[in-house]
Amino acid sequence: MNRLKPLNRKAHQIEAAPNDEAVEKVVSMTAAVAGCATTFDPGWELDPFLGVAGLCQPMEADLYGCADPCWWPAQVPDTLHNYQDWNTGKDDAARDWKALQSVFPK
Amino acid sequence: MKMKTTAAALAASLGVALLGALPATASAAKDYLVTAARPNLVFVMDAKERKVVKTHTIPNTSLGNSPLTLVPSRDGKVAYVIHNRWETVSGIDLDSGKEVFRAELSGGDIRGKSPFPMDLSPDGKELAVYVNPTQLLPGEYKVMDPYIAIYRTDAGTDAEPVRRLKVPRRVSTLAWSPKGDTLYAFSWDMLKLDPQTGAVKGQHPWRTWKNGDQGEPDTLAVWPQWEQTNVFATPYYVTHANKKPGDPSALRAGIWSLDLETDKVHFKEFENAGVVLFSTVVNPVRRDETYTVYTQLTKVNTKTGKMDRVDLDHTYYNVNVSSDGKELYIGGTQGDIAVYDSATLKRLGNIRTPGGGDQVLTSLRIFQR
Repeated sequence: MNRLKPLNRKAHQIEAAPNDEAVEKVVSMTAAVAGCATTFDPGWELDPFLGVAGLCQPMEADLYGCADPCWWPAQVPDTLHNYQDWNTGKDDAARDWKALQSVFPK
Repeated sequence: MKMKTTAAALAASLGVALLGALPATASAAKDYLVTAARPNLVFVMDAKERKVVKTHTIPNTSLGNSPLTLVPSRDGKVAYVIHNRWETVSGIDLDSGKEVFRAELSGGDIRGKSPFPMDLSPDGKELAVYVNPTQLLPGEYKVMDPYIAIYRTDAGTDAEPVRRLKVPRRVSTLAWSPKGDTLYAFSWDMLKLDPQTGAVKGQHPWRTWKNGDQGEPDTLAVWPQWEQTNVFATPYYVTHANKKPGDPSALRAGIWSLDLETDKVHFKEFENAGVVLFSTVVNPVRRDETYTVYTQLTKVNTKTGKMDRVDLDHTYYNVNVSSDGKELYIGGTQGDIAVYDSATLKRLGNIRTPGGGDQVLTSLRIFQR
């Protein structure tokens, strides 16, 4: 290992593993899974009947209902796991939406 | 420190008494609503007065994720709420605001989350919580089998389960029968569990439901609101395979209900699907009448299929009903609870959440004191 330099977080975990058993526990991901969902689930773009009349009105009514349960992590930051303070202090989405920021993969 | 400051500020700004008992006399029993709101509030409202009468804070929780399912004891003394990114359940004394129960669902390298399902035994002595555990290993997340944790409600603020019941995935609702002998778990089907052992005593078909040409029905049953009738009810959508493509009647909407006292199921399709329906409550007086909300309020007679509908001022997730069956309380999503007349579907008023925080996905419950 002296001539190998870990380049990412997983490789660092292998280098830092205290014993062989811990090395075995470092498993590479076999699929790209972002957030909580393993599938892309349209819902913010179209309602279940392929129109827009059934979407939440206004969208702020549903904003934290989608962020807080990690419902659509591709469209809305996931406050359940990855962006836990995205909306901290902004408790009224209709009033506070302008203070919400974009998020980027960590 | 920050949370204490929040509570004090709310009490000062809203003039809300944090101490002092709610009425306890049965002779003048009134309806009280109890729900939660961001960031960490549990609050009680006098339904007829349209007024918040108690505001309590949930201690030691995440402020960037909203409280989830809320279950009050039948005497209205304690409300149990899932919070802290779904990893903690607390019991809040509704008179004093004191945290009298706390169970951590995570510990060590196990992250446990409860995605909605929770209910109290009818005697208030046990609390059932559905838990999805994940083992956080250095290089992977290991998905573990879900279970129902049963806690004694007198276990204090360091509660551990007295037993764990094996249960399938995809449970969205737990509902304890009023007799206490069955714990319903709404999973692929509506399972009837022995609350002591977890043994499956029977089921009402859902995924396995065979009914003519209909396909598998679809529903989102995550709001417990059956305390006025002991009838679990949920809207559903279902396809009919024998219809021609493009026929609007190929996708229908209905109300499915289960009487938790008699174990009887009833269902009624009432329209071609075209409106989003989230949650339903049954009128305790006119028991054929149900009310379903989302961006509209829909009244359905589940005997005749007759339907009335009005637009709401914004989308709501949940609905409850007064003991006399005359008023509807519509909540979830944003920072207000709307009040509607159950007969005319006319708006009667609304109640703002303390501080204006969104209710998001929590439950809107009723008790009498």
